[in-house]
Amino acid sequence: MICCKECIDLLCDYFEGTLDPATAASLEDHFKDCPPCVSFLETYRQTSDLCRKTLTPVEIPEPVQIKLREFVKNHIQSP
Amino acid sequence: MPTQEEKAQDEMLVRDMKAGQMEAFDKIFELYQRKIYALAFNMTRNQMDAQDVTQEVLLTIYRKIDTFQGKSAFSSWVYRITLNATYMKLRNKKKEQYVSLDEGLPNFNHAGFQNEKVSDWSKSTDSLLFSNETKGVIEKAVELLPEKEKVVFMLRDVEGLSTEKVGEILDLTIPAVKSRLHRARLFLRKKLSSYFDEYQTRSSKK
Repeated sequence: MICCKECIDLLCDYFEGTLDPATAASLEDHFKDCPPCVSFLETYRQTSDLCRKTLTPVEIPEPVQIKLREFVKNHIQSP
Repeated sequence: MPTQEEKAQDEMLVRDMKAGQMEAFDKIFELYQRKIYALAFNMTRNQMDAQDVTQEVLLTIYRKIDTFQGKSAFSSWVYRITLNATYMKLRNKKKEQYVSLDEGLPNFNHAGFQNEKVSDWSKSTDSLLFSNETKGVIEKAVELLPEKEKVVFMLRDVEGLSTEKVGEILDLTIPAVKSRLHRARLFLRKKLSSYFDEYQTRSSKK
């Protein structure tokens, strides 16, 4: 059986779906017997989700939009 | 990854722009300004800097379009210009802070098994997600990431680009992208774990 350290090293590939089937299976075997690694897996996944939800979407504030349009008009369309 | 239609549309716009059609630039401006601004803003956390970067990138697209040879996707070229302009901004502003990413790893015993209790806070974050405190903790944690890891994390996990696309933009191999991404996620997970564990302790005492 693989150990926790190996298991954590493989998480990125596990979520990308790029592990070979045998390695993925031994990882899943490990999860069956190791609640700490399941907690680790869930919180690892949740970390990316939380960060994405916090940092997106970034909208351009109205005053910046106006500045950008002015910039394009003055420096690019009729420099 | 951009869809085939988006890629075809970009190629057409680049061709038209090279032929001197101003409408093509206007269209590129509409299509890309939010992407440029969002990446610059997330990297600098500063509205003024993000605006400066966006203006600079627009000007570079306009002036340097003839040097774009189409070896990579147009969107990758735009992301690269955006990152270069962002790095210049960051360089002018602050000294690089050195944070060790090693602290992101859990403790293992000699056989490679976990030594510490790992609490699963993943199901209890919903009510906290939109609190300003949580938002602040997340923003601060991301800000602490070293630039190399931060940029990979932003493009892959925040902007949602594919690993291959991130490799193309940063000129990194796929394993290098994954390794930086993994280190960033481990570091952030550790930071968020400390916060959520403390939060749960605080709530249970109430």
